[in-house]
Amino acid sequence: MKLLRAALALLPLLLLRPAGAVEPISLGLAIAGAAASALTGIISYPRLYCYFRECCLQRHDQRVAAVLQENLDKKLFGQHLVGKVVVKAVKGFLNNTKAKKPLALSLHGWTGTGKNFVSKIIAESIYKRGLQSKYVHQFVATLHFPHAHSINLYKDQLQSWIRGNVSICPRSLFIFDEMDKMHAGLIDSIKPFLDYYEFLDGVSYRQAIFIFLSNAGAEKITEVALDFWRNGRRREDIQLTEMQNALSVSVFNNKNSGFWHSTLIDRNLIDYFVPFLPLEYKHVKMCVRVEIESRGYVVDEDILTRIADEMTYFPREERIYSDKGCKTVDAKLDYYYDF
Amino acid sequence: MPRALGLLWLLLPGLSALEPLSVGLAIGVASALTGYLSHPNFYCNYVECCPGAGHRINATALKTQLDTKLFGQHLAKDVVLKAVMGFSNNPSPKKPLTLSLHGWAGTGKNFLSQILAERVHPAGLRSKFVHLFLATLHFPHHEQVKLYKEQLQNWIRGNVSVCPHSVFIFDEMDKMHPGLIDAIKPFLDYYEQVDGVSYRKAIFIFLSNAGGDLINKAALDFWTSGKQREEIQLKDLEPMLSVGVFNNKNSGLWHSSLIDRNLIDYFVPFLPLEHKHVKMCVRAEMVARGYAVNEKVVEAVADEMTFFPKAQKIYSDKGCKTVQAKLDIHEDVMMRDMKAKR
Repeated sequence: MKLLRAALALLPLLLLRPAGAVEPISLGLAIAGAAASALTGIISYPRLYCYFRECCLQRHDQRVAAVLQENLDKKLFGQHLVGKVVVKAVKGFLNNTKAKKPLALSLHGWTGTGKNFVSKIIAESIYKRGLQSKYVHQFVATLHFPHAHSINLYKDQLQSWIRGNVSICPRSLFIFDEMDKMHAGLIDSIKPFLDYYEFLDGVSYRQAIFIFLSNAGAEKITEVALDFWRNGRRREDIQLTEMQNALSVSVFNNKNSGFWHSTLIDRNLIDYFVPFLPLEYKHVKMCVRVEIESRGYVVDEDILTRIADEMTYFPREERIYSDKGCKTVDAKLDYYYDF
Repeated sequence: MPRALGLLWLLLPGLSALEPLSVGLAIGVASALTGYLSHPNFYCNYVECCPGAGHRINATALKTQLDTKLFGQHLAKDVVLKAVMGFSNNPSPKKPLTLSLHGWAGTGKNFLSQILAERVHPAGLRSKFVHLFLATLHFPHHEQVKLYKEQLQNWIRGNVSVCPHSVFIFDEMDKMHPGLIDAIKPFLDYYEQVDGVSYRKAIFIFLSNAGGDLINKAALDFWTSGKQREEIQLKDLEPMLSVGVFNNKNSGLWHSSLIDRNLIDYFVPFLPLEHKHVKMCVRAEMVARGYAVNEKVVEAVADEMTFFPKAQKIYSDKGCKTVQAKLDIHEDVMMRDMKAKR
């Protein structure tokens, strides 16, 4: 008790002499604290930690368009229309700071012609980690929305998912695969997000990108391509406008297209219809060559030709276009190259 | 007790600063500052405030915006200008302003409601006093109509009591459940007060595609009879619209008491856009992006759009929608031209 009183009596003396407080231990602690705060501040600075962790892109990299063009030229075979449209669309959209609506691409075509491949390339050009990025979301109709009777649940979930992710990162990418198998009403539920609204419940969707992949319209595309071939014209002469009009109407009327009578086309919320032409013999050979090279084997022209010959082609008389596009090529490779 | 004394002795050096005059002065200055900061004239520059009773919409600004930004809708401009100015200048309106905008897709209905909202609340659609409802987004499931009704009524009542000059925009009316609109009928009526809240200064805007085909038909009739588009009068369209919308099962206003009781003040028709209007849209978009207007590109983009009817090909199918996307395709042509000029 007396000790306490003595201590209390001495305390004012301490206050009257501030210089006395500057002593090594407390000063050292203070400096360490200041240094720790400074270090935290530096580490939290976006430019620095975005090298180590993935960040949402607020300003897109200027090189995206160039990277995209390069990848499409090198890796995608036989789709001259796709290269043109996709690069211009993505570049124009990313450069436009005042976009009025999110970018909505609809990729249509025969199986194995490269639709998923192109969406993968797009994802990789824009996001560092490509399809693994946490800002890229892929939905497969048959996997994520399997049961027709739970459609209301799917609608609610999808809307919440899109709303939540776009509010975190406005520059999100949503890929919807197997659109021809998706319930017609489900797509209507995301229509509001694709429209020309500035804000919906406080969230702006104008910087997001939506990609829809489907096989619908493939017959129409093949028809046009076949016409060109039969008239002796070059494949590269096929123009986008001819395809787009034919596609748009046929997809709309096709009961299986998932867009059937959907308001997406009614309201013209799809910015671009991108057609994928069926692949010819020479393109299949290109696919095989790339696959061989990627595995590190030596390219043997004989085996290449044999593999390409093994694929089935349609139509029955002319046998120009590969039935499965470039699919099953790697399986056939394994058969021929048995190491 | 001794501990308390000890603590008091600790504070003694600081206490010497607390003497009446300076404390009194400090309290006086703090109160004056708080008073000044709380005055609406000051803090309304930083935080959004509800417009006061004496607030009037600027007529010239509204007219200029409509003239420069909205293309091809002489009827809509006329009606909206008169309606809104009349309502705003009226010190005690008898009922809230109710506009019903009808027309084909891409003709500018949302655009016009946006311009209107910005005139009343400067922050436009971002304002906390402007509420946008989409039938497909906010009221998706028809089984839950009762829940939506209650929620909607509470929302409207709450927001109008906070700010009497609230603006409510209902989009996709053709997809809304018919009964849901009946739920807000009491708010649109000629009551002085409903449960202590007066709705007379609020604005309700309904957007829908219903009646669009009727309007197109009327416009086409005018065209085929060789008359000018600008000669179309409201009286030619309004009665046809009202009945058409009333009988259309998909209009959301179907047999609704909104029309029964004439609670809609104005039916505003949006005419389909012609080739020249599409070109105006393209030019405006190019200017907005900072490019010089290249007539070749404008022509090319406008030609790419699809037109109806199949024989005459006068009116654009999508209005001005997808113009931006088509511009992106032609962008490299524009960039080349810009470089050539340098």
